[in-house]
Amino acid sequence: MPLNILILGGTGFTGPEQVEYALARGHKVTLFNRNRTRPDFFKGKVDQLIGDLNSDVSALAGKTFDVVLDNPTTLPAWVRNAAQHLKGNIGHYIFISTLSVYPDNSRPNMDETDGTTPMPADVDPYTLVRENAARYYGAMKSFSEQEAERHYPGKVTIVRPGLIVGPLDRSDRFTYWPVRINAGGNVLAPGTPDDPAQWIDARDLAEWMIRLAEQKVLGTFNAVGPTLPMQELLYGCKAVTTAGAQFTWVPADFLATHGVRPWRHMPVWVPNSKEYAGFSTRNNARAVKAGLTFRPLAVTAEDTLAWHKTRPEAEQKATAEGTIAGIAPAKEAEVLAAWKAKLATGGTNND
Amino acid sequence: MTDRRDFLRTSVAIGGALGLVPTALFGAQDPFLLPPPVPKAPASLNILILGGTGFTGPEQVEYALARGHRVTLFNRNRTRPDFFKGKVAEELVGDLNNDTSALKGKQFDVVLDNPTTFPAWVRNAAQQLRGNVKHYIFQSTTSVYSDQSIIGLNENSPVAQLPADVDPYTLVPQDASRHYGALKVRAEQEVAKQYPGISTVVRPCLIVGPLDRTDRFTYWPARIDAGGEILAPDKPEDPCQFIDVRDLAEFSVRLAEARAFGTYNVIGPEKPMTIGEMLYGVKAITATPGRFTWVPWPFLQEQGIRPWRHMTVWQPPYGATAGYQRRNAAKAIAAGLTFRSLADTARTTLAWHRTRPQAEQEAILRGAVNGLDMKREAEVLAAWYAKAKGAGEG
Repeated sequence: MPLNILILGGTGFTGPEQVEYALARGHKVTLFNRNRTRPDFFKGKVDQLIGDLNSDVSALAGKTFDVVLDNPTTLPAWVRNAAQHLKGNIGHYIFISTLSVYPDNSRPNMDETDGTTPMPADVDPYTLVRENAARYYGAMKSFSEQEAERHYPGKVTIVRPGLIVGPLDRSDRFTYWPVRINAGGNVLAPGTPDDPAQWIDARDLAEWMIRLAEQKVLGTFNAVGPTLPMQELLYGCKAVTTAGAQFTWVPADFLATHGVRPWRHMPVWVPNSKEYAGFSTRNNARAVKAGLTFRPLAVTAEDTLAWHKTRPEAEQKATAEGTIAGIAPAKEAEVLAAWKAKLATGGTNND
Repeated sequence: MTDRRDFLRTSVAIGGALGLVPTALFGAQDPFLLPPPVPKAPASLNILILGGTGFTGPEQVEYALARGHRVTLFNRNRTRPDFFKGKVAEELVGDLNNDTSALKGKQFDVVLDNPTTFPAWVRNAAQQLRGNVKHYIFQSTTSVYSDQSIIGLNENSPVAQLPADVDPYTLVPQDASRHYGALKVRAEQEVAKQYPGISTVVRPCLIVGPLDRTDRFTYWPARIDAGGEILAPDKPEDPCQFIDVRDLAEFSVRLAEARAFGTYNVIGPEKPMTIGEMLYGVKAITATPGRFTWVPWPFLQEQGIRPWRHMTVWQPPYGATAGYQRRNAAKAIAAGLTFRSLADTARTTLAWHRTRPQAEQEAILRGAVNGLDMKREAEVLAAWYAKAKGAGEG
């Protein structure tokens, strides 16, 4: 049965995938956004309401919807502001939160019952100061989850994704790998081949959220793929290329002493440590049981690479240089040379 | 009858509708729905293909036709009867063992000889073709090399000699497997003798891809797609080599177009690939949860697991097979050999596998032809864990 869906945002990263899947499934889609990220991206295909969750939600006045997908919220005030009009006028509210709500990443296989980050006492939870969104990201998202529950009691679904990857992702936090591997040559690979990694394709996330709406599934879900070894990620990316990249796995402590940072310089990867033993091993069983499915890695890697090639020249260059995420080629070569020198002098390591 | 590509395309479409082939398997790179355009060759050749309906042959036929060449087949019309009926210029029926009369009086720019394992077949065809062809391209094998312990085997490395007591023109079927490498060497020599100065020898390693019924590569996509805990051979960093049948076939046709003579190892991938990269790469095209357990070779050996036969593609990278997966293909690469991605090879193979008769699909997971029976696999894994546990307690 077709649903009348409101998508807050809808033109960023996960949003466009939701729109396309929802339309393909026969639903009616309305977008509410500033019409700034990608102006008129879906013009003619959806109803467009223009406003700003910070300050002007009047376009939502008097509207009713079967379901709302809230993608952009990082500040609880945005949930509250939208609720001024939506409260009582909707049947279901699906909120995209994040695995960053969990302050404790030390234990493997943690599920949705794990505690979330509380808001520090000296911070106004309804702050609109942008820096707070980054500084208190986990706490703001946690409080936003609670805010949603306060306004729409018994009608809320909380989706907590891990690292979202795929086409349209401009953070390069996954894109770096297919792009780097497609360039061939000697690739610096982090830690050990068996270090865990975990991510989710934006399309798997988006499509599943629409299906949650269709089935009116309530509750809280970790939305992330299976834990896979880093070698599966890197070798899987290699499989979609013909450049013949060669990998050198360099131990975590050596990388650390050379200023190579996990996540920032070696995307996706967070080395095993007391603090992060559970970071890439979040339990996703509840979401899988509720119908979350996963594309093959080759499809994610190929589509990401194909999209990357359509990006403006400057962005492609920035990815290749590791400007946003990833490591600069010169730095990579330097670290590889240092590691090779260390091996040559018979230096042993912890592996 | 639809041609093979149409057949595959239809099968994939049907499979998709039935949920057998998830469309997500292909993403933006669907090899059937978006076939890369093949540009026409500068000049059309009149090509005779001996065989042409087996494994490499069909890919040569399709590529040659797409390049604008005229194709004639000579075979028994038995492997896949009338497979290319209406597509090729001529289908000549005969038998390289004893009846090559259909070739009489014919002239060709180039001959692609795929099926030959016996030097006598080269000789028999030459009775008609000698003097009537301008180029003879013979598909040999890297099994011609007598010492596979050498790392970096190239076209000048030593080849196998036929024992003095074996008639080089034997047609005894058992000799074909017993003296495979040596007979291929002798057949190469027969080609050089019959067509001096106008012959090319291609020596492929393990040929993989759609239509391969030996299961030697197909086992891995099929097994990995079945999911669960998968026994993997020895160490992920061991080397592996294989050549996609389409890369081989297209290279053969381009050698014909370029009139390139000489001998070429036809081996992929272009840059070294480990068995770990291969298996994880195959896994990347599937959506089935699974994981690999790498078990050291000495233990596998104790369990009666054989390289190549049970752990397909893989050979121990030391001792007599140290060079088996590390041969040199620089000459062919310089001559224009190109390589598809592993994801393309694995996906296309799996898509074809799913169109095979049900019995063949089931046989592969029993390791009936090549590969490992899943029941046996579970036993070996259990034994490995038991041993690890024993060692831990000891």
